[in-house]
Amino acid sequence: MASGEWQEPMLAFLVTCHTSLVTPKVMKNEITLQTRRQFLRTTVLGSALSWTVPAFLADTFAALHSEAADSATQIVTGKDATILVVLQMAGGNDGINTVVPYTNDYYRNARPKLGLTAQQVLNLNGEIGFHNALTGFKNLYDAGHLAVVQGVGYPNPNRSHFRSTEIWQTASDPDKVEKYGWLGRYFDNACPGCDPTVGVDIGGQTPQSFFAKTPTGISLANPQSYRFMSPGRFRPGQMNLLEESYEKMNEISNATPDTNSGSSIGALAAGMPQPGGSVLHFIERTALDAQVSSDQIRAIVARVKNQASYPATKLGGDLKLIAQLIAGGLPTRVYYVSQGGYDTHVNQAGTQDRLLKELGDAVNAFVGDLKAQGNLQRVLLMTFSEFGRRVAENANGGTDHGAAAPLFVIGDKVKAGLLGRYPSLAPQDLFEGDIKYTVDFRSVYAGVLESWLKTRSGPILGRQFEPLPLV
Amino acid sequence: MLKALPAARWDYDTAAHLLNRAGFGGPPTVIKKLANLGPDDALSTLLDYEQYADPTPAPDWAKPDPEGVKQLHEAAKNASPDERRKLYQQEMRVQFQRLMDLRGWWLNRMVKGPRPFQEKMVLFWHGHFATSFEKVRSAYYMWRQNELFRRLATGNWQELLTFAGKDPAMLIWLDQAESRRPHANENFAREVMELFSLGIGNYTEKDVTEGARALTGWSLDRLNQEYIYRPFFHDNGAKTFLGLTGNLNGDDVIARIVAQPAAARFITAKLWNYFAGQPPSDELNIVLAAVFRENGNNFKPLLQIMFRSEEFYDPAIIRNQVKSPVQWLVGTARVLECDLPPTQICEGITRRMGQDLFAPPNVKGWDGGISWITTTTLLDRYNTAALLIQGADVPEARLEARQQMQMNPMAASQSPAPGKRVHVGGVNLEKILTPDERTDKNRLVAALQHRLLQSALKDDQARALGGFLGARSKLTDADIRAAIRLVMCTPEYQVT
Repeated sequence: MASGEWQEPMLAFLVTCHTSLVTPKVMKNEITLQTRRQFLRTTVLGSALSWTVPAFLADTFAALHSEAADSATQIVTGKDATILVVLQMAGGNDGINTVVPYTNDYYRNARPKLGLTAQQVLNLNGEIGFHNALTGFKNLYDAGHLAVVQGVGYPNPNRSHFRSTEIWQTASDPDKVEKYGWLGRYFDNACPGCDPTVGVDIGGQTPQSFFAKTPTGISLANPQSYRFMSPGRFRPGQMNLLEESYEKMNEISNATPDTNSGSSIGALAAGMPQPGGSVLHFIERTALDAQVSSDQIRAIVARVKNQASYPATKLGGDLKLIAQLIAGGLPTRVYYVSQGGYDTHVNQAGTQDRLLKELGDAVNAFVGDLKAQGNLQRVLLMTFSEFGRRVAENANGGTDHGAAAPLFVIGDKVKAGLLGRYPSLAPQDLFEGDIKYTVDFRSVYAGVLESWLKTRSGPILGRQFEPLPLV
Repeated sequence: MLKALPAARWDYDTAAHLLNRAGFGGPPTVIKKLANLGPDDALSTLLDYEQYADPTPAPDWAKPDPEGVKQLHEAAKNASPDERRKLYQQEMRVQFQRLMDLRGWWLNRMVKGPRPFQEKMVLFWHGHFATSFEKVRSAYYMWRQNELFRRLATGNWQELLTFAGKDPAMLIWLDQAESRRPHANENFAREVMELFSLGIGNYTEKDVTEGARALTGWSLDRLNQEYIYRPFFHDNGAKTFLGLTGNLNGDDVIARIVAQPAAARFITAKLWNYFAGQPPSDELNIVLAAVFRENGNNFKPLLQIMFRSEEFYDPAIIRNQVKSPVQWLVGTARVLECDLPPTQICEGITRRMGQDLFAPPNVKGWDGGISWITTTTLLDRYNTAALLIQGADVPEARLEARQQMQMNPMAASQSPAPGKRVHVGGVNLEKILTPDERTDKNRLVAALQHRLLQSALKDDQARALGGFLGARSKLTDADIRAAIRLVMCTPEYQVT
């Protein structure tokens, strides 16, 4: 790209602002698309890239494209293990307008403004259709790669975003508070002593589902800056004295008391990960994980190319990176990625259209990429949202917090089609205006753990749930 | 409980702890001054901030602009969809530019302003009433909310909750502006109880729907850009909210909430956690809440007792809190006595580390604590350290273009010609280290630990740093900068 194209500082930071936010709402796509390529080559420094920052920093901060990577890549390594990708639809997606019972009279009555007609859905079985923004999902459905699990929820649904998210992340009963996440318990149970990259979260923040007795997993936002930068060219396996000293100063030391936690850390606030040690110990461990994983990841990203083109969206970029890491043979069992913005209290139509389109298009590209790599048969993607939304629309063209909703399981080997049963929308069957769940989400987790990750689900989920046959 | 720390325990370390937590830390000279003052006067220096004038001017755009709103509205009304999109984009550019200014304005106030404790409270309230520009889309409203938090930073709970609810940014953020009978929007009614005042379990779903009905009428005058009560929106029926029945309105809702014992416990626990770095024991929080209520639900007396208490200086509390990204950035500029980099860089720094000011991830705010630390954010801290120590060379033309853009956003879209560069940010070594410390390796290591950590490195770390410096025959400025960075690239520097 000629540098002349990159002279507009406003757009740069417009885009960096925009893409970093969880609840993008009205930003017009035009702005994003126009500058998307620049954004991909840009990081935090945004418009500052053309300034002289210390050379060794500018070098790597700016090098965001992997175009220079060796194209004759050897793609497949570590082909043995199955991989789970968890995709969070944060904010509470309106399941009813996602998998739409468009022939149902109760639906039409409850949704005078938001209701979708036969022409506005992608028909599945004559009664139910996908929201018409989900062409990507329809494509996967037709190809036999997508299962819709209908009516997923849990008893006594909680309508708080945060509490309900916590319930999903920890797989707890709604009246109990669990500190560790269900994936964290999987790491604790099934992967003791694993490489830290056994769990990879794309984004800055560790999801609660990763919280474990032994903190495991890494968080990755931008592979190019995922390293300790220092003057001088980086060559894998070679370090200068500064890097060596940095590594020594970040070694886990027995001198760090791990016991002052007894009183103080045992009482960390809800919503915070609770490591089995002091704050300092947790940081030491994270520093070590960062060191170990940094070389691995950058080597993969430099070597491996994607085999499909992705939509220029945040989610598209995140899934693209995951596909690269899979192709590169990172020994990861669980990837986690999140898409936000589904809390549609006001003017739902435009927002949900855009989000579902982003979702379907990005996942469709991801599946195409994995297929081309020859890795699709070892990857399963599962979506979830903390709750669905109220059956009746509100006065602002939106919907309020609800309960059960469908989720999607995608992969080569899934039992494609509509699983479970669509909950009744008849007023007498609703609870406080919400549909009742027909499948406990922990049955879905049990199915994923047992038939996909090949581990016993009982010890991880606290008790035995009937595993939903998914593959 | 909450016995005053004996004056005999007041020393450099406790003074440093107070300054770190009730402010953003500072260099040794400032800590020494606080230590010499004794605990009461030191505390007064921070908490009784009204005694210091804060001359920070508001950004020049920070005022209501009904004319501008009207013009934009008129222009949009007569425009084609294409033109309307252009208008919108143009307006958003202005808003994003102002947002960036606002971030720099606030961060610099934290670094250099005369009232660090007030700013630390504003940061608390921003995280508490977590409102995001992403939905509000107006820098003016975000600034206004920020000023509200500043004005009522250590004031009265009921007053603050009421004003926060009627604040334009909040009215947009939680959809209260649009809420009207007969289908009240529940967003604000729910979050005001769940996240702002009571916590889950202290109200019912029925209280949410009834509270939402009572709150109808609180709305936003988008022309004059201020709160307005709209009687036509208000549901005049009887409601029962937290056990009280009547034709309740929004003010009744807030009053009723604050009357709940849970409303005191909720906020005292959160304040203690923010300043002490871990939640209070139940036992301690009962006492904190009692103090708060005895003092008429006013924050200042509570905070005075908190910061004077033995519990606050417990060894398990000191240096056991993860620095938030803002604390890390502002604190670094303060201990290194250097300027922040230009706002364009600063806003990216805190964003990457997980704390985008004026854009919290959701209405719950930032989780804080060790959730600030991931492999990614830790490496970001380590790399950003180099940037802060080194500074950056910025083309002068670019800085001017920014100023132009504030006055006329369209004029600045031409690229500035390359030309003279000015160095911004970076550490002035002569300012923070004596000639001895800059030549004697052992003294340098000691000075850096004292300034940056206020405690000692572990033996292994000190050996590694010594080894790094030992390989140099004579210390250059680059070596010293690298040594500063190494101390900042330790787990120890991430806590305070």
